[in-house]
Amino acid sequence: MQAAASAPGADPAHGRPATSKISFQGLVLGFAVALLLFLVGYPLLWLILGALGVPQSLGFEHLQRAFARPQNYAALINTLQLALGTGVMSVLIGVPLAWATSRTNMPLRYLVHALVALSYIMPPYLTALAYIFLLGPEAGHFNRLLQGLFGFESGPLNIFTMPGVIFVIGIHVFAFTYFLTYSALKSVDASLEESAQVLGAKRWQTTLRINLPLVAPAITGGALLSAIDSLALFGPQAIIGTPAQIVFLPTRIYATIGSYPPRWAEASALSLVLVLLTVAGLALQRGYLERRSYITVSGKGVRTQLLDLGPARWLLLAFCMTVVFFSAIAPVGTLTINAFSKSWTDPLSFSNLTLEHFRSALFEDQVAVRGIINSFKLATSAAAIAVLIGAAVAYLDLRTNVRGRRLLDYLAILPLGLPGTVMAVGILLAFIRLPIPIYGTIWILLAAYVARFIPLATRSANATFRQIDPSLEEAGRITGASWFHAIRRILMPLSRPGLLVAFLLVFIPAFGELSATILLYTGGTETIAIAIYRLNDLGQLEVVSALAVFTIVVVLTLAALVNWLSGSSWSSSETPAVRG
Amino acid sequence: MAFIDIAGIDKRFGNFKALSGIELAIEEREFVTFLGPSGCGKTTMLRTLAGFLTPDKGSIHVGGRLLSSAQAVVPPEHRRMGMVFQNYAVWPHMSVFENVAFGLRLLKVDRTEVSERVSRVLDAVGLSGLEKRHPGQLSGGQQQRVALARSLVVEPSILLLDEPLSNLDAKLRERMRTELKTLQRRTGITFIYVTHDQAEAMALSDRIVVFNQGTVQQVGTPRDVYERPANIFVADFMGLVNKVPGTLVERQGASARVRIGEQTIEACTSEGIDPRGAIVVAIRPEAIRLGDAAPVAGSNVLAGRLVESTFLGNIVDHQIDVGGSLMRVQGDRQQTFEPGANVNLIVPITECVAMQGDMSQ
Repeated sequence: MQAAASAPGADPAHGRPATSKISFQGLVLGFAVALLLFLVGYPLLWLILGALGVPQSLGFEHLQRAFARPQNYAALINTLQLALGTGVMSVLIGVPLAWATSRTNMPLRYLVHALVALSYIMPPYLTALAYIFLLGPEAGHFNRLLQGLFGFESGPLNIFTMPGVIFVIGIHVFAFTYFLTYSALKSVDASLEESAQVLGAKRWQTTLRINLPLVAPAITGGALLSAIDSLALFGPQAIIGTPAQIVFLPTRIYATIGSYPPRWAEASALSLVLVLLTVAGLALQRGYLERRSYITVSGKGVRTQLLDLGPARWLLLAFCMTVVFFSAIAPVGTLTINAFSKSWTDPLSFSNLTLEHFRSALFEDQVAVRGIINSFKLATSAAAIAVLIGAAVAYLDLRTNVRGRRLLDYLAILPLGLPGTVMAVGILLAFIRLPIPIYGTIWILLAAYVARFIPLATRSANATFRQIDPSLEEAGRITGASWFHAIRRILMPLSRPGLLVAFLLVFIPAFGELSATILLYTGGTETIAIAIYRLNDLGQLEVVSALAVFTIVVVLTLAALVNWLSGSSWSSSETPAVRG
Repeated sequence: MAFIDIAGIDKRFGNFKALSGIELAIEEREFVTFLGPSGCGKTTMLRTLAGFLTPDKGSIHVGGRLLSSAQAVVPPEHRRMGMVFQNYAVWPHMSVFENVAFGLRLLKVDRTEVSERVSRVLDAVGLSGLEKRHPGQLSGGQQQRVALARSLVVEPSILLLDEPLSNLDAKLRERMRTELKTLQRRTGITFIYVTHDQAEAMALSDRIVVFNQGTVQQVGTPRDVYERPANIFVADFMGLVNKVPGTLVERQGASARVRIGEQTIEACTSEGIDPRGAIVVAIRPEAIRLGDAAPVAGSNVLAGRLVESTFLGNIVDHQIDVGGSLMRVQGDRQQTFEPGANVNLIVPITECVAMQGDMSQ
């Protein structure tokens, strides 16, 4: 490890020279930083340059010209409507659910909580797919049920509408509002409510006048996060919106790049607008969450008081179960039934059962098989690289005083706010010009996944290292261990569970990634999401369902593993601190 | 050159000057304590000595070998020092045995010798039989002993201790204090000990280095630092002290005459006292005797009026008005006075230390 040359003043009796400042440590960390700059910084730079018309020109005319096109303008308006709609919807269903599971004696609270988690973990394009089966205007299960019950001539509900898109995305993103409100309500100490009751407030008055105002910032913050997330969900926007001829910014960007010749400047101009919307939303959300300071968070455990609802608790349960039925049970259920049915339009019966679709999805269909293999390969490598970079960034931030480490940390968190479509445009613009032949290969997907999900690894590694006191490594150094040895024998064993969580947190979304992949894949580099998307276009709906069920099983298993490794429920992600 | 030679060390963190112009010489086998309030630079100095921090200026030599300078720093693992941390820093994923054996294995000591030396050092710190335990199963005191054993087993020439007792309860702290001192005498290892507790510093040290605001205020034996504080900060930090304002009347070498209100007393003085500046005479409350006896040779007598007495069990705490300024006296509990009584304060000249009064601290 002591690679440094002999320094003047070194005592030959000890035989060990003073080290210079360039070391093995510097090389390892430097490599990770270079990778981060190349994968995140460089594409982002190109995104901005591209929107300003570089390399042809430099100015704002591309931005102006982009919005002179009526399609682009419509896409912007539709996107704003979508964000507003899902934001409102997330409050209407997320807040009552959070209140019910956190502060009342409603039965089955844990089941409701787990099903909300399931609707969040499920890739949103699969929810969208399921709703084609459920609410398709002709053959959708619900429509046929309503026809049977009330004698409608045609299906009364149509998913291929703007409310349909808002609904499908809303039942996915409301989880943000739910979880933020849930943990805020959980952290309101009973003494705050009791003080109100002592002064004569009834229980419902306490709820309305003490609890709700206390958690209002969390609700607003959650609604904003839901709205921001809905902007970026290419999958449902394309699967439901495109057949209905409703265009959103991500699907519009996809169309401009897919046109011949690709209109790069227009795509980057649209991307920039999408980024600005996201950034504005996140800034607003951060402002709201900062006002959360008046929720007293003390080191002591918080005592909560559960409201006894009496018979009304069954009514509340009915409401909660309805919500999770539509957000989780029905979509997962319908995909499962389809996957095992010979024909999805036929009623469920024993003679209609088959494993045929799984055979073709997992072994026969070339695109599907290739997709599964590629997704496993890509998710594994992307997660490994992201954890490496994330750990290096977290290490620099927490264990050194290298100048610029804050900026690096910020750069590693930045992609969190970037829609996958935008990240893909940046990567395309940046790598198409490189002499390295990465465009059109699987490597460009790897680059995109690492860039997109690096924030998840960085945050997780940061939380892990934060819980390991630096003196543990210092004790190793002064006892004679080199930097590398102290990392390997002390920091790594202690942070292994945390870094495994970081790995899985990247693997899970990377495995089912669609919005960036759709812009970057070519024949041969299809992933599982692309296989689902393309087979859906080809109308092979049963095989699509089998692939979807496979994806859900993989994702759920890994999510359960994360949950078990973190040793806690979804609401509290604190792991016990490792102290010396 | 001394065994440890610290010369002109400066260290900044951003705009904060953590250390400036530190000069220290420490001999082999000495027990030296860095004492001061939090943020005074004592821990920064210790960590610079350990090689965790690079000084901005100056140099550190140990045994004639240059270890630290602004240009290059020998990394901690090549300094042959041991360190005991405030939070013990015992590795939670290793057993007691593995914790202690860690350093020996790095030195490529063979297996039988490792287990021999580990059990010998565990015996020395009173942990025999706990080899297989994991740190989670040990009390705070036991963990601290593991940390100590882990540093001692590699036979370092210098042991650095960063507030090692501050997380222990009062009783255990006192016992560990005695054990540490015995251990240091027995092993002959040079101990450098950081604490903010002046009582701990006095009980343990051969010499105390008082730090404040990144500079060394005074270096001396516990008795020196307590009885002859170099300035008001040191006088205050080492214990309860009366700071009586006065003016310098005349000065001859180390002795001076100081006017306090209407009265004049004799005092000893530190070097470099400025006759034009305000003067303060530092007098420890327990150095004063109350009585109406005739003046004794070598003592000052000050006339005062008793304001209030508080019975504290082992002593009685008196507040006495001397020429307009209030002085505290710790008196014998048999000796009682009524409030308003006129009393004489008898103070040996050697207990009156005149010093510069206009220091900010």
